[in-house]
Amino acid sequence: MSTDNGNTIKRRVFLQGASLVAAGLAFKPLRSQAAETEAQDFANGTRELVAYPQKRPLMRITARPPHLETPFSVFNESVLTPNDAFFVRYHLANIPASIDADNYQLQIKGLVDKPLALSLSELKALGKTVEVVAVNQCSGNSRGYGSPRVFGAQLGNGSVGNARWTGIPLKAVLEHAGVQAGAKQVTFRGLDHPVLPTTPEFVKALGIDLALSDEPMIAWAMNATDIPFLNGYPIKLIVPGYFGTYWVKHLSEIEVIDHTFEGYFMEKAYRVPDNDCQCVPPGTVPDKTRPIGKLKVRSFITSLQPGDKVNVNEPVTLKGFAFDGGHGIQSVEVSEDGGRHWQLAVLGESLGNYSFREWTLQWQPREKGKVGLQVRAKGGQGEQQPVKALWNPSIYVKNNIETTPVTVV
Amino acid sequence: MKRVFGQYKALLFAVCTLPIYAVASPLTINLPAETIVLRPSDLPGYVVAQQKCGICHSADYIEYQPPGFNQKQWTGLARKMKESYGAPLSESDVGLVGEYLAATYSGKPAVESKPAIKAIEVASNTVDKPAVVDVKTLLDQNACLGCHAIDRKVVGPAYHDVAMHYKGNAQAISQVIDHISHGGSGRWGEIPMPPFPGLQPAELKQLADFVLAQ
Ligand code: HEC
Ligand code: HEC
Repeated sequence: MSTDNGNTIKRRVFLQGASLVAAGLAFKPLRSQAAETEAQDFANGTRELVAYPQKRPLMRITARPPHLETPFSVFNESVLTPNDAFFVRYHLANIPASIDADNYQLQIKGLVDKPLALSLSELKALGKTVEVVAVNQCSGNSRGYGSPRVFGAQLGNGSVGNARWTGIPLKAVLEHAGVQAGAKQVTFRGLDHPVLPTTPEFVKALGIDLALSDEPMIAWAMNATDIPFLNGYPIKLIVPGYFGTYWVKHLSEIEVIDHTFEGYFMEKAYRVPDNDCQCVPPGTVPDKTRPIGKLKVRSFITSLQPGDKVNVNEPVTLKGFAFDGGHGIQSVEVSEDGGRHWQLAVLGESLGNYSFREWTLQWQPREKGKVGLQVRAKGGQGEQQPVKALWNPSIYVKNNIETTPVTVV
Repeated sequence: MKRVFGQYKALLFAVCTLPIYAVASPLTINLPAETIVLRPSDLPGYVVAQQKCGICHSADYIEYQPPGFNQKQWTGLARKMKESYGAPLSESDVGLVGEYLAATYSGKPAVESKPAIKAIEVASNTVDKPAVVDVKTLLDQNACLGCHAIDRKVVGPAYHDVAMHYKGNAQAISQVIDHISHGGSGRWGEIPMPPFPGLQPAELKQLADFVLAQ
């Protein structure tokens, strides 16, 4: 952070015992041990910071199953999100406590000539190792900032991360098994299962064309080291440009099928209105929906946090990141006057079209008072961010222009 | 595959500080304890929620929902748990839980709620009391097997392990009856066992006998 003056909205509070009141809401449930928390600027947005295996303290969304969000300040550290700070998202609580990579098996079955049961070393030997830097973002990232609020995981802006993934193209594995005529979709499941047999399994599906395209990958390394356990060790499906719901962790089974998969997490959950904006008037229900797909263009300021103070007439380097669904960022602009004038930022080195793109801008605050710094990006196909947040019943794909309120002193 | 809700111990920190390449195969994790519990209330839905809403996930899911949802919305949420995820809730459970959640999570500070003990009294008068039934039905009706299995840990301990633990203990029956009736935590881990105030003495004895015979 470029300023360390007192900041009002975003703060870390040290809490002791049960006597705390945060963001106007009492948290009854803490015990005697102290918990550090991170406040976010939406109702009931304060989260405990808890260290999980291989992770630094992250914002806890749920303890069981583990569901952790990255504190936003992390994104100012580097363009690649450190593994120990990368968000964690499970849906179902019956997850393994221990995984033996030496005895791990990935099955490929269904409409294939040759069903396979691959060990990790067999998988790695199947083809050329490839690498991609790609953004993994939760479908519901930023849901907590939506309005009207809806039930679901109450996420801030930190359920996103950017990492260098190393693995083998999914295509190479499918071709090795021999995809048969009539294949329509490919389904993916991992080692995370429901607690009760009455709860649907977490299974995701990709269309056969996407599955056989160049991008999807089965990765075994994240930022040049093993994938952390809670991010899907030892192998994870990577679908660059697509929301994280498809990035199946602890990938264990791939099935080629001749129909549209009807499982709960495709047919009922993770669906967006079937129109261009993937939106409906706030509070209404769409007539038709489709499975969620690609990331929309987004951009953030990371060098200043809401509530920070900056000195008048002292130049500040603003910094942040932008990304889109895989066409690469064309431009990033910043406004200090509510969107009347926009200044072009300088883009940092490109790590590929699926990556965060860093941007910087020299800014000289000229007048004392409150300023809402806005940032907007243009995607590779000219796609822009809406000024006002679009809405859908699950608050997915939120990507409006963000405003960081700061005070010039 | 082993379940994850294990011994929440300091081992976690050992894992955290190991350099990643030094982690030998297999890689094992121990998760930190849950810290969020359901907000107490004297509404009967509180008891139902304690029994049914902790089976599949921790209570933070409920704690962190935004303030301001009304009873219709919270009842809809409870119904979603039943219909979409197969939560073992009767129609009356759905209504009671909806009422409890709306009253307790509407945005008022949790500390204003009354202590849990009252809820237990209220609930014991409102929960349906079946005529004496076989133990299988009791286990089903109370969703015991949502959290327990005979031979492995699920959310709570394996019944076999409970039986082993009490072997040779003359007080076993009365202690286990007490623990099923009143619930509690800390004997096996950090996750609480919900209280079952609606169970009759004969039913409690049937259940305790069953568990201790495993
Ligand atoms: C049979 C398993 C099961 C039971 C029992 C259960 N839930 Fe859930 N619950 C789930 C699953 C699965 C999710 C979705 C998890 C995800 O998407 O991360 C969920 C999500 C939630 C959420 C988040 C909001 C949402 O719509 O996803 C809330 C709040 C919630 N449950 C409350 C409850 C309450 C209250 C009860 C008790 C009446 C309950 N749950 C019982 C399985 C269950
Ligand atoms: C929501 C999950 C849940 C449900 C439902 C549940 N239990 Fe438990 N049970 C637990 C947990 C967790 C523990 C461990 C508590 C502890 O560590 O003290 C436990 C502990 C126990 C014990 C061991 C007590 C002791 O003396 O050590 C018995 C016996 C038991 N449960 C029986 C039952 C029966 C019978 C039912 C149904 C009437 C039931 N449980 C329903 C979670 C549950």
